[in-house]
Amino acid sequence: MRIITHTCDACGTIVSANELESNRVMKCPGLDCDTVLRFGDLPNDEREFFVEHVDQYEL
Amino acid sequence: MKGVLLSGGTGSRLRPITHTGPKQLVPVANKPVLEYAIEDLREAGITEIGVILGNKGREEIQEALGDGSQYGVDITYIIQGNPLGLAHAAGCARDFVGDDDFVMYLGDNILKAGITDLVESFTEGDYGAGIALQEVDHPQAFGIADVDDNGNVTELIEKPDEPPTNLALIGIYVFSNEVFDVIEQLEPSWRGELEITDAIQTLLEDGHAIDSHVVHGWWKDTGKPEDILEANRLVLEDTILDEEGQVESGATMEGRIDLHETATIKEGATVRGPVSIAENSVIGPGTYVGPYTSVGPNSTLEGVHIENSVVIGDSTITTSGKIIDSLLGRGANIESAADCLPEGRRLVVGENSQLKL
Repeated sequence: MRIITHTCDACGTIVSANELESNRVMKCPGLDCDTVLRFGDLPNDEREFFVEHVDQYEL
Repeated sequence: MKGVLLSGGTGSRLRPITHTGPKQLVPVANKPVLEYAIEDLREAGITEIGVILGNKGREEIQEALGDGSQYGVDITYIIQGNPLGLAHAAGCARDFVGDDDFVMYLGDNILKAGITDLVESFTEGDYGAGIALQEVDHPQAFGIADVDDNGNVTELIEKPDEPPTNLALIGIYVFSNEVFDVIEQLEPSWRGELEITDAIQTLLEDGHAIDSHVVHGWWKDTGKPEDILEANRLVLEDTILDEEGQVESGATMEGRIDLHETATIKEGATVRGPVSIAENSVIGPGTYVGPYTSVGPNSTLEGVHIENSVVIGDSTITTSGKIIDSLLGRGANIESAADCLPEGRRLVVGENSQLKL
C-alpha cells in the first residue's frame, strides 16, 4: 500500500495523507506550530492516487 | 540507525485511566512507560527518534517528551492518524528514516534487558530485519517465530494451534531500509490493517535473512491495569532507588525507598520498600505504604494501608481502609465513610471503572 506523507516546513512534523484528507485544512498538529496544512499541499499525483484508493486508508 | 517509537492506540483495555490521557504516559515506578523505551533506544546508541502519534493523546505526548533534549535525543513527531496497522505506521516514518536502518519499538512495552544486544546482533550480519523474541508459556496466544540453529527466522505464525516453538514476537524490531519497498506492496489484512508480520514474511520470501534475538529477563506489555501493577513491581524490584526526601524521626522505614527530595514521610508513618514516592507527596501519620507501591506527585496519604499499587498523582487518600493491587488515576481522592450516615460507601466512578468493595 502506498503510504503518502507531508512534512510541515515550519516544525518538521510529518503528517500522513489520510490525516490531511480527513481534515482537508488543518492546523499543523506539531505542538505550538501555527502552520496551516492542506490536503492540497500534496503533489497532484499523490492527491489523485489517494482519492482513487481512499477505501484503503479508512478503517 | 534511527528509532521509530509507536505511541498510538486507544488504550481501551486501560480505561478509565486512558479516558483522560494516552496509555504510553501511564507511570510505572513514577516514570511514563514511554520514557523506558526512549532510554532503551538511547542506550543502544540511537538518538534520532520518530514518535508515531495516532488520534489520541497527541498533545499530551508532545508536551511530555518535547523535542527530546531532556533525554539526550532528538524527536520528530509523525502523525499516523487512523490506526491502519504497524506496517502503515512504519511506512509513515519513511521520510524520517531516509536511507538508514531503524528500530521499531512499541511504546507500551517495557523490558529489563534493553535492546542493545538486538541492535548489535542485527548490525553484525546482513539482515532484512531482526526481531526480538521471548519464550512464553502459552505460545498459542502470540505471534510465534520458528528459527533455525543459527537463530535465523524461518517462519512467522500468528497464534498457531500447534506452535513449532514457544518464541513470541514481543513488538520490538530492527528493519533494513528495504522494508519500505515491501510495505508499498502489501495489501491490508482482513482487519483492514497493514500487518508488520506480513512485511517480515515478505522479506523472508524475498530471500532476506531475518535475525532473531531472544530477550532474557522480564518483558511486559503494559496494556491492562494488572500489567501496569506487574511492571511497577518488576521495575521497583530492579531499580536503584534514591532516598533524598525528608524522613521525620518516628517514621519507620524498611527496604529500598525512592523518595523524591521534595517528598516527606511523617512521624508515625511506616514505609516498607521497594516503594517510590514522587515530588511534593506526603506520607502522613498512621499510614502504611507497603512493597511495590508507587505514589505519584502532589499526593497526600494519611491513615491508609496501601500496598502493591500505583497512585498516579494529585491524590488525597485518607481512608482508614486497606488498598491493595490497585491503580488509582490522577486526582482520585479516597476518604473515609466511617462517620457518614446512613452507613455505606459513596462513589463517583468513571465509565469502565473496576471496583471490588
